[in-house]
Amino acid sequence: MAMDGACESPAEKGGETEVSDEAAAGPGATDADGHPEEADADGDGDLKEAATEEGELKSQDISDLTAVEREDSSLLTPAAKKLKIDTKEKKEKKQKVDEDEIQKMQILVSSFSEEQLNRYEMYRRSAFPKAAIKRLIQSITGTSVSQNVVIAMSGISKVFVGEVVEEALDVCEKWGEMPPLQPKHMREAVRRLKSKGQIPNSKHKKIIFF
Amino acid sequence: MADEEEDPTYEEENEEIGGGVEGGQGKRKRLFSKELRCMMYGFGDDQNPYTESVDILEDLVIEFITEMTHKAMSIGRQGRVQVEDIVFLIRKDPRKFARVKDLLTMNEELKRARKAFDEANYGS
Repeated sequence: MAMDGACESPAEKGGETEVSDEAAAGPGATDADGHPEEADADGDGDLKEAATEEGELKSQDISDLTAVEREDSSLLTPAAKKLKIDTKEKKEKKQKVDEDEIQKMQILVSSFSEEQLNRYEMYRRSAFPKAAIKRLIQSITGTSVSQNVVIAMSGISKVFVGEVVEEALDVCEKWGEMPPLQPKHMREAVRRLKSKGQIPNSKHKKIIFF
Repeated sequence: MADEEEDPTYEEENEEIGGGVEGGQGKRKRLFSKELRCMMYGFGDDQNPYTESVDILEDLVIEFITEMTHKAMSIGRQGRVQVEDIVFLIRKDPRKFARVKDLLTMNEELKRARKAFDEANYGS
C-alpha cells in the first residue's frame, strides 16, 4: 500500500516503459475530484488521506488503520472492516481517475502539431543506453550490479537531465535569448539547482557553526 | 572535444583549448552524445543543440551517477549498490522517487507478462 504514495501515472499499455506525466509527479497536483493527489514520497500520505476522508481521527481509528494496513483480518473490528472497504473504493476511484487522465492525454496528443509530435516522441523514447550505464556503475563500484539498479539509475538520470534542461530554458527566457541553449545557460541552471539542493555534491564540507 | 568546432568561442569545462595533457573528463570518449541530443530536444531545446551544451550535460550526468553510486555504496550493504539504497537516497525528491517507483513496477509487470506468455506458448 505504500506504493500508492507514488502516483500511478497512466502508462500506455503496450510495453512503453516511459511514463510522461511530469504534472502527475509534481507534489500538490490535484486530480479531477479536487483531492490532493497522493504524490507524497512517504507512505504516511495514504494514512492521512484515509483519516481525513472519514472526517474523524480517534485513536481507535488509528489502530484500525494500522491493522488495515497490515491487512491483519484477525484484528479487524467491524469499523476497521468498513475502513478497508472504503479504502478499496478509494483505490477504485483512483483507478477511474487514472483512466480519465489517460483519456485526457490521448485527446491532448491527438491535437499535437507535427513538430510537437516529434518532440513528444523524442521525449518519451530517448533513454540512456543500459550497457553504458551498467559499465559506468560497475567501473565505480568494482562489483557487478543488478539489472534493476541500471534501470533505476537510467530513469533517475533522465529526470535529472530534464530538470537541468528545463531550468536552463527558464534562464534562457529570462535573459531574453532564444534556444538553442548555450553553456552559460546550462551553468547558470546548475548554479540555481545547486542552491536548491537538487544537485548532489559530496565534495563540499558543510560548516554548520563558526 | 573542442576539435569538433572551428570556432571555440565557448570554453568547455575542464577543457584546454588546443588540447593539452588533460586527465579525467576532458579526454574521455563521449558516452551519451547521441542520446543526450535526442533528450534535450525532447525536453524543449532546439532540434540541433550545441555540442558544448551536450558535453556539459554529459559531464553533469556522469558526475550525478558517480555521486549517487558512491552514496549508495556507503549506505545499506557496504560496497554494493542495491535498488533499495537508490530509492532511499532519492526519497526527498518527489519527481525522481515517483519515476523510480513507476519504472520498477512496470518492469515487474512486464516480466510477469513475458513469463505468462512463455508459459502459454510452452503449454500449447
